[in-house]
Amino acid sequence: MLIPRKVKHRKQHHPKRTGVAKGGTRVVFGEYGIQALEPAYVTNRQIESARIAMTRHIRRGGKVWITIFPDRPLTKKPAETRMGSGKGSPEWWVANVKPGRVMFELAGVPEPVAREALRRAMHKLPMKCRFVRREVEAS
Amino acid sequence: MSEVRIKAEPRTEFGKGAARRVRRANKVPAVLYGHGTPPRHISLPGHELMLALKTPNVLLRIEGLPDGPDDGELALPKAVQRDVLTGFLEHVDLLVVRRGEQVEVDVPLKFVGTHEPGGILEEHLVALPVKAEATRIPAEIEVSLDGLAVGGSIYVRDIALPQGVSAAADPDEVVVHLLPAPTAAQLAESVEGAAASAEAGES
Repeated sequence: MLIPRKVKHRKQHHPKRTGVAKGGTRVVFGEYGIQALEPAYVTNRQIESARIAMTRHIRRGGKVWITIFPDRPLTKKPAETRMGSGKGSPEWWVANVKPGRVMFELAGVPEPVAREALRRAMHKLPMKCRFVRREVEAS
Repeated sequence: MSEVRIKAEPRTEFGKGAARRVRRANKVPAVLYGHGTPPRHISLPGHELMLALKTPNVLLRIEGLPDGPDDGELALPKAVQRDVLTGFLEHVDLLVVRRGEQVEVDVPLKFVGTHEPGGILEEHLVALPVKAEATRIPAEIEVSLDGLAVGGSIYVRDIALPQGVSAAADPDEVVVHLLPAPTAAQLAESVEGAAASAEAGES
């Protein structure tokens, strides 16, 4: 699973969930992709689960890119603990995904196969998503 | 490539409030510059511009400019800003070009033909930077994959370009590479190994 190799601070504030993606909004590496339509924290387990769902469907055909990285730790206090006594312990690693962000890309398979593979991957993700295709345009 | 005629209106007020009023009127704020002329702020009809921009590197003839030639100014889209989610046009930068002028643009590549089975095609370049006459920019450039063996590559120097068009990229740059497909064992290891490590992390 994806996890940062080294971090400067073990515990961080919760990432902001407002706004839309500033970059990474177009398919650049592959031919097809999954674009987020809502903000969400995507955990490294969800990313891995989506990748496996996609890889199982395309079998030996294509190549997959993951264009998000879970670099933000979220903490949790143990159950039935009184408030105070400092911040809880790191529990999850999440990617802070804003609407418009392309999270996964796929190439090397026909479009119907790519659509089905990405549909299966979308079911593993915590937000509404859509299938997007690469477009070449003045930018 | 044929021209698309678009009627422009000059913009006299600026800022986000004015730009939003323009967009509410189904128009797109745009700026026209190039050839040492001062930038001209204009608004263009949204639907017609959206249809025109479906063609990459479309040649636009901007009409109705107060200080422009009678038959309109030729322009190429330089930068297109769209809403991330809806894809609506927010702003367009247009570059003034002259007939016969050489311009550098990115032309989409179209891969045709069939490569050797048992490989995954990795596309390193999907649009090729080329130098061409402004009025004769090809809509797309075909790249033949026939005879491409597993492990082989096609370079920029291998692409057959139309007459009057030259590549502006490094001739040794890889366009496509045919990777060997992973074996069934490698694939199973990648999927099952990841699943096992996920379960181990959970417990």
